[in-house]
Amino acid sequence: MLMEIKKELKFMLLNVKYNLAREMTNKITFLTNIIFMILNNASFIVEWIIFYSLKNNIGGYNFKDIILLWAIASGTYAICYIFFGAIQDLPKLIMDGKIDSFLVQPKNVLISILSSKTKVSALGDLIYGYVLIFIYGINIKNIILFTLFIITGGIVIASIAVIFSSLAFYITKADTITSSITSTMLNFDTYPDGIFKGIIKILFYTILPIGFSSYIPLHIIKSFNIVNFLIVIGYTILVVLIAFYIFYRGLKRYSSGNLMSARI
Amino acid sequence: MKKYLNIYKVTLINELQYISDIILGFLSFVVMIFIFLNLWNYMYDDPSSLIEGFSKSQMIWYVIITEMIWFGTRNKTLINQITDDIKSGSIAYTLNKPYSYAIYVIVKNFGEITIKFLFYLILAIAVGLIFVGPIDFNMSNILMLIPVFLLSFIINACIRIIISMLSFYVEDAAPFHWLYDKIILVIGTVFPIELFPKFLQPILKFTPIYVVNYGPSKLVIDFSMNSFFTILMAQILYLIFVIILLSLIYRKGVKKLNVNGD
Amino acid sequence: MNVIEVKNLCKTFKVKEKEKGFIGSIKSLIKPKYKKIEAVKDISFDVEKGQIIAFIGPNGAGKSTTIKMLTGILYNDSGTINVMGINPNKKRKKLAYEIGCVFGQKEQLWTHLTPYDNFKFFGSIYDLENSVIEKKIKEFKEIFELDEFINTPVRNLSLGQRIRCEIVASLIHDPKILFLDEPTIGLDPIVKENIRTLIKRMNKEYKTTIFLTSHDVGDIEKLCKRVIIVNKGEIVLDDSMENLKYHYLNKKIIELKMKEKVNLDDSKGITILKDKGYNLKLEVDTKKTSISDALKLIDANNIIDINISNVPLEDIIKSIYKGEK
Repeated sequence: MLMEIKKELKFMLLNVKYNLAREMTNKITFLTNIIFMILNNASFIVEWIIFYSLKNNIGGYNFKDIILLWAIASGTYAICYIFFGAIQDLPKLIMDGKIDSFLVQPKNVLISILSSKTKVSALGDLIYGYVLIFIYGINIKNIILFTLFIITGGIVIASIAVIFSSLAFYITKADTITSSITSTMLNFDTYPDGIFKGIIKILFYTILPIGFSSYIPLHIIKSFNIVNFLIVIGYTILVVLIAFYIFYRGLKRYSSGNLMSARI
Repeated sequence: MKKYLNIYKVTLINELQYISDIILGFLSFVVMIFIFLNLWNYMYDDPSSLIEGFSKSQMIWYVIITEMIWFGTRNKTLINQITDDIKSGSIAYTLNKPYSYAIYVIVKNFGEITIKFLFYLILAIAVGLIFVGPIDFNMSNILMLIPVFLLSFIINACIRIIISMLSFYVEDAAPFHWLYDKIILVIGTVFPIELFPKFLQPILKFTPIYVVNYGPSKLVIDFSMNSFFTILMAQILYLIFVIILLSLIYRKGVKKLNVNGD
Repeated sequence: MNVIEVKNLCKTFKVKEKEKGFIGSIKSLIKPKYKKIEAVKDISFDVEKGQIIAFIGPNGAGKSTTIKMLTGILYNDSGTINVMGINPNKKRKKLAYEIGCVFGQKEQLWTHLTPYDNFKFFGSIYDLENSVIEKKIKEFKEIFELDEFINTPVRNLSLGQRIRCEIVASLIHDPKILFLDEPTIGLDPIVKENIRTLIKRMNKEYKTTIFLTSHDVGDIEKLCKRVIIVNKGEIVLDDSMENLKYHYLNKKIIELKMKEKVNLDDSKGITILKDKGYNLKLEVDTKKTSISDALKLIDANNIIDINISNVPLEDIIKSIYKGEK
C-alpha cells in the first residue's frame, strides 16, 4: 500500500515536471504569466490598506493577520493548481468522454487526470504566498507550518472540486456548478472569518470547507494548538477519501457507458 | 446599419439557450454581495454614521451596482475571440468584408450581454431591496442613467478589444486582461473613489474606472445634475480617445500580420 | 495459448431520448425516456498468442465498444472477458501493464517534447528502471528507424513519424497484446506501407499479439492472418484471411469489350453484373463453371478487349456486411 502511494506520488511529480517543461517552451509567456499573477494578487493589498485606514480591527484581524490570510489563500490555490491543475477541466473531460486514455494507463485514474496539467500562474501564487509569509514574520516554525498547511489546503480544495466535478457523471452543467463553488471558496477565504456570522460559518466547515483550508491553519500559525492541528490533518485525510469514493462511484457509471449517446 | 442590427438579433437569439448558465452564475454574484454586506456591517459601528459622506446603504448599493456591471457585462467574445482571430490569422480575411471588424465584435458583444445584463439588473435590484432596503432614488433619473450605462459598456468593450489586439505584438494578451480586471475590481468595484487618499483621487478620475464603473454607479446612489454632466462629458472624451487608439492599433496590427504572412 | 478469450459478450447502452424544443427538454427532465441500443450482442471469440487479427465492421458495428471492453474502459453487461488471464473489469490497472493501446487520432504523446523524452516518460509510467528504458529505446530506434527524428520535438514531426512514435510509446513496457485502433488513418500510401511493415516486424520480433481495427482494406489484407467481421453488434464472419480469400477468390470478374452486341443471360455459375450491349461485366464462379467454359459462350472473334480479375477484397467485405454469402 505504502509502496503504491509512493509510486503514485512519484508519477504525479513526473507529470508536473513534464507539464512545466511544456509551459516553458515559450519563456516570455511563462514569465509574464507568473509575474502578472503576483501583481494581480498584490493589487488586493490596496483594498485592505483602505479598509484598515477606516478601522484597525476587522473581524478580529489586524493588518498583519490579513497578510497571513492572503499568504495561506494564495499558497493553497498554488498547490492545488500546480499539482492538480486539470481539476478545472475534469467535469468537461467526463462529459465529453475523454478519460478513456487515462483508463488504459497503469496508474490511478484520478491522480493521472488531475496532474495532467499545471497552471503556470499558480507558480506566481506560490511565490506570492512565500513573499507574504516572509513579510508576516519568518522563522522555522512559520515556514514549516505554512508549507504543511498550503499542502493540506490545496488537497482539500482539489478534493471538494473533485466531489462536485463528479456530478458530471450524472448531470450536465456540473462544470458551471464546480466553477461557481471553487470561485465562491476563493472569494470567501480572502476575508476575515470574524465578519461572518451564524449559518454561513457552518458552510465554512461543511460544503465550502475553507475553515479547514484557511481559517484554522491561520489560527494555528498565530498560536499553535495541537487539537486544531490534528483536526486539520484528520479532515484532509477524510475529504480525500470521500473524493476518491465519489469519483470512483461515478467512474463505474462512466464505464457502463450510460452517460451520453455520443460515446458508443 | 441593417446588417449590424441583424448580427445583434442573431446573437441575442442564440444567447437564449444559455439562460440556465446565467442563472447558475448568480451564485458568485450573491456571494460577493453577501461578503460586502457583512464587511460593511462590521465597518459601520453606528449604522447611521457616514464614511466619507456615504451612508451604509449607499455603500452597499454601490457594490451591488458595480458588481452588477462586472458580472452582467463580462464576455468571453471580447477576450478570447479576438485573440483567436489574430492567432489564426483569420482577422486578415475580415479586411475585405463589407463590415468593420471592431463594430462587428462590439455588436456581437451587445447581443451576447443584453439578456445577461437584464437578468443581473433584476437580481441586483432584488438583492439590494431585500438585504439593504431602498435608497433615495428618483425614477426620472433613469432616463439619464441609460446613456451613461450604455457609454460605459461601449467604452469597456473598446478597451477590451484594444487589450485583445495586443496579441498582434505579444504571444499571450491574457495577463493584460487580468491587469485591467484588477484595476476595475480592486479600485473601482469595492468602494467609491472618495475613500482613497485625497492626493490619489484626481489621478483615479483619469483611469477607465471613472467612466466604466465608478461614474455610472455613483449616479445611481447619489445623483446630481452636476455630476451627471461631468461624467457624461468624461465618457464622451474617453470614447473618442479609445476609438482613435483602437483604429490605430488595428491598422498597425493588421499590417504587421500581412508582413508576417508573406 | 489464448491471450484473449471472449464468451457471450453483451453490451447495451441506455440513451436518453429528447424531444425537440423547450417543452421537450422539460418533459425529458421530468420523465426521461430511454432508448436501448444493443451495441454488442453475444460475441464470442478467442485470440491466440502472436496472432495479428483484424476486427472490422462498418461504423456503429460495435468495434470500438468491444475494444473498450477488452481494454477495461467499458464494463460489459454479461458474458466473460479474459485478457492475459485478467478480467478487465476487475483488474484494470494490472491489465494496463500487459497491453498497449494506440487509439486512432487521439494523441498520447507530449507534443512539445522529443520522442526520446516521451519514451522515457511512458517508461516511467510503467515503473521501468532507467537502464531498461534506455535499452528499449535503443532497440526500438533501430527497428522503427527513429534515428533521424528521435531528438526533434513531436509537434515538428510528420503524421507518419508521429504514428510510429505513438506505437513505440505504447510498446515501451513490452505489452503482450497491442490494440491498434485505425493506425493508418489519414496517412499517405507510402507511409501506410511503411507502418504496416513495421507492425509486421514488431509482431515477428516480439511475438506481440496484435488486435487491429481499420477501415483500410490494405491494412487488413497486408497484415492480418485472421479476420473478424462484425455488423450490428454481431460477428458475421470469423475466418482466416486465406479462407476468406479462397472462398471468394473462386469468383472472377470478366470484363469484355465487343465488336457486336451479344445477348447473354445468367446461367450456371455466371452472373451478369453489367450489360451495356458492347460492354459486358460478368462474375464467374469457377467452382461451377470454368473460365474456358464461360468464354466458350462468347464468340472469340468478336472480342476487342478482355480483362479477367479477382473480386476486390473491399467488395467482398462490403457484401459480407450486407449479409450476402
